Amino acid sequence: MATATAFLRTPWVRWVGILLIVALAIVLPLILPEFANTTIARIGVFAVAVLGLNVVMGYTGQVSLGQIFFLGLGAYVTAYGVQQDWNIALVFVLACLIPAVAGLLVALAAARLGGLAIAMVTIALPIVGVPLAKRLSDVTGGSQGVSARFSDAPEWTGLYDDQWQLYIVLLIGGIAFLLTRNLVRGKYGRAFAIVKGNEAVAASMGISPYRYKVLAFTVASLLGGVSGFLYMVVIQYTSPETLSFGHSITLVASMVIGGAGSILGSLLGGAYYVLTPQLTNLIDPGLTAVLQGAILLLVLFVLPGGLVSLPRLWRRRRHGRSGGGAAAARAAASTAGVPSTGAPDGADVSTHPPTESERRQDT
Amino acid sequence: MGTFIQLVIDGLSTGSIYAALALAIVLVNQATGLINFAQGGMAVLSAYIAWQLTQWSVPLILAILISIVVSFGIGAFVERFLIRKFEGGDPDTAVVVTIGLLTLITGICAWIWSYNNELFPSLFPLETITIAGAVISLRSLGTIIVIVAIMGLLQLLFLGTKLGLALRAVAINPQSAAFSGMPVGRLLMVGWGLAAALGAVAGALVAPQLTLTPGMMDGALVYALAAVIIGGLTSPIGVVIAAWLIGVLENLAAVYVPFIGYDLRIAVPFLLLFVVLIVRPQGLFGRKTVVRV
Repeated sequence: MATATAFLRTPWVRWVGILLIVALAIVLPLILPEFANTTIARIGVFAVAVLGLNVVMGYTGQVSLGQIFFLGLGAYVTAYGVQQDWNIALVFVLACLIPAVAGLLVALAAARLGGLAIAMVTIALPIVGVPLAKRLSDVTGGSQGVSARFSDAPEWTGLYDDQWQLYIVLLIGGIAFLLTRNLVRGKYGRAFAIVKGNEAVAASMGISPYRYKVLAFTVASLLGGVSGFLYMVVIQYTSPETLSFGHSITLVASMVIGGAGSILGSLLGGAYYVLTPQLTNLIDPGLTAVLQGAILLLVLFVLPGGLVSLPRLWRRRRHGRSGGGAAAARAAASTAGVPSTGAPDGADVSTHPPTESERRQDT
Repeated sequence: MGTFIQLVIDGLSTGSIYAALALAIVLVNQATGLINFAQGGMAVLSAYIAWQLTQWSVPLILAILISIVVSFGIGAFVERFLIRKFEGGDPDTAVVVTIGLLTLITGICAWIWSYNNELFPSLFPLETITIAGAVISLRSLGTIIVIVAIMGLLQLLFLGTKLGLALRAVAINPQSAAFSGMPVGRLLMVGWGLAAALGAVAGALVAPQLTLTPGMMDGALVYALAAVIIGGLTSPIGVVIAAWLIGVLENLAAVYVPFIGYDLRIAVPFLLLFVVLIVRPQGLFGRKTVVRV
């Protein structure tokens, strides 16, 4: 197995892998049926939202129950900008910045209290957000909501709308994932991990827990705004229902079920968010909420690292090293984002030169 | 002036309901160090149980008492078979467990009783009395009296009984309590049971006003959490005062601040909260905790 991972880590294998993924991303939308394309695009939208939640919750250890608020805010900003006929690039920038500033303001107050204060404060965001969205009906269209069609495929591409929309989601979502991956694996990621592990230790090391909690929350809100923009690309309609409390809870559940503190887990979380309601509706629409709650509790009991830890757990079982049990699986999952640190092969270190130099700057 | 007094009394009445839920949250937090986000959902389940009993023509007061006892059992059961596994572990995981529990309980209520609004009979007569030009409903007064009585009983339990002493010991330091031979696990179950019973009272008091639906307590839970932060997690009396403050302020703001109105008044406790957090991060009545590496 060691040789297999070493083979996977050689630079050219990596590049071939990346090229393959890019090629797949270009080709797949062209050959998949429309339903599959829209479903994948929706998964992409919520995967970005879950990714944001992961930055604040999975990597920094602050429970946030308000992530859907930032998605909704981004969606409303996008809808408003499109209706005002603003340049779409400007709309995108605003859809990122306005939620980020809102998140910054919330975090400045909430992060002052340690522990679960962020959870207790953020629960208010969707619950205040819904009546607020209804009240500001000039901008939000009140209870009816507001729709904005701007993501239809342009003539010259010869694409169908669903293909064009999926390309947009893949491009913007891909960039968001790439940037976030670099963020959580670099200097800031290590600071987040220390703050998550023990705030007092972080403070004694000169890492201000307050600053990094605020930063993580702001990044999460920004990613929420990005997913809100993508939401309007794919769904083209938003209403107060978009940012309801139940959705916010499902988002938290998706993150935990996909895998906290994991990039791949965010993707799985997005898939869970979109696919489970469809599946549970097939069983019994009345049971949807019961099943979702039961699935979340079940995953917490038997698979605390989320779906992403499944292969790891399975491998460990097969090798008969299951001594640590659930706790070990959890620890393994939480470090799954950075498996390469301290790896014996020199090739791996050379692939992260900025990380190394930043570490030197730090000390 | 009459309207003002009326608004204050009504505010105290709704504030009392938040106070009951907030006390339940503080009770669980003091015993186990986690915030139970399912507290509101558990209260809704209790209210449904009471409502179902009245449908089977059990007298209302008896139905509520039965639901309180059943809720105590549910709370203890949940602690023993669900929360116990996550106690002492990562607090974030424990919180997500309570969120899962909230989803599950809300789902179960919706599955059994559907999302339709059900009329819950009021424990108090709907008549009003006039004092100094203010029309005050007996329900408001009754709610306040019930909550104050419960607060007194809780205080008596904690300060005047052996059980209360043991609960406090477990809350302050579970390990030392265990070393001195206390049944920590059983005491934690009792703590959760008491919290659930308290939630059941809140549920029975709020249901006539809001009509019974699975999501009935979501708003009240938010108010209760705000009261918990404003009052300070370590101070039961501070939490009750904060809940009353929230109830009164939001009622006044709904009438006297045109933009806020009835639908946006839920934002009031959070404006208050932001101000408090910036001035006194540990809450109005909370103790500052010292962390050690």
